[in-house]
Amino acid sequence: MRNMGQKYSEPNDFRSKKRKRCPFTAAGIKHIDYKDINTLSRFITERGKILPRRITGVSAYHQKHLTNAIKRARHMALLPFVAEV
Amino acid sequence: MSQKHKNLYEGMYIISATLSDDARHKALDRIQKGIVERGGSILKIHDQGRRRLAYEIKGHREGHYFVIYFDVIPGAISELWQEYHLNEDLVRFITLQAEKVMEKIEFKPLLEESP
Repeated sequence: MRNMGQKYSEPNDFRSKKRKRCPFTAAGIKHIDYKDINTLSRFITERGKILPRRITGVSAYHQKHLTNAIKRARHMALLPFVAEV
Repeated sequence: MSQKHKNLYEGMYIISATLSDDARHKALDRIQKGIVERGGSILKIHDQGRRRLAYEIKGHREGHYFVIYFDVIPGAISELWQEYHLNEDLVRFITLQAEKVMEKIEFKPLLEESP
């Protein structure tokens, strides 16, 4: 319990530093479009995999729509299914 | 009744980049005709130009992208799909219900935060 409290109050702890707001909520974006590759590509890995929201901090609502948008973009060959490194 | 109700759709089409300009216009006309023949109307066409595909599709490495906004009765969509599957100039397509016509394909950027 003491540790839990410390985790968020300690500013030098990198885990507390990582805690951030959902980027879509912050920018006030309601609809995530599959054509918007610049935004979408920020949420995939080098290999083309979708990043989990524990890393990006996207809210559950937006992650659901983001996943759909990325999958549509993949279908239209805007984003890769697997990127060769 | 519902037969008359038209929905707004957004279609994205990849037309083969190996076609000549003339043949490409013809392919685009064919897509438009398919919609108009089924009682739909074309609202907006965005020519997004030639783009490298993220992966190879049937030997194509590049494609010419078009985004078309149109309205048509919902029953016509499955007919359109059938037609698109037979169209060899069309590499890929997607048709989605749209909420509004985008006059310009631009997006609000995310707030820039230091990563």
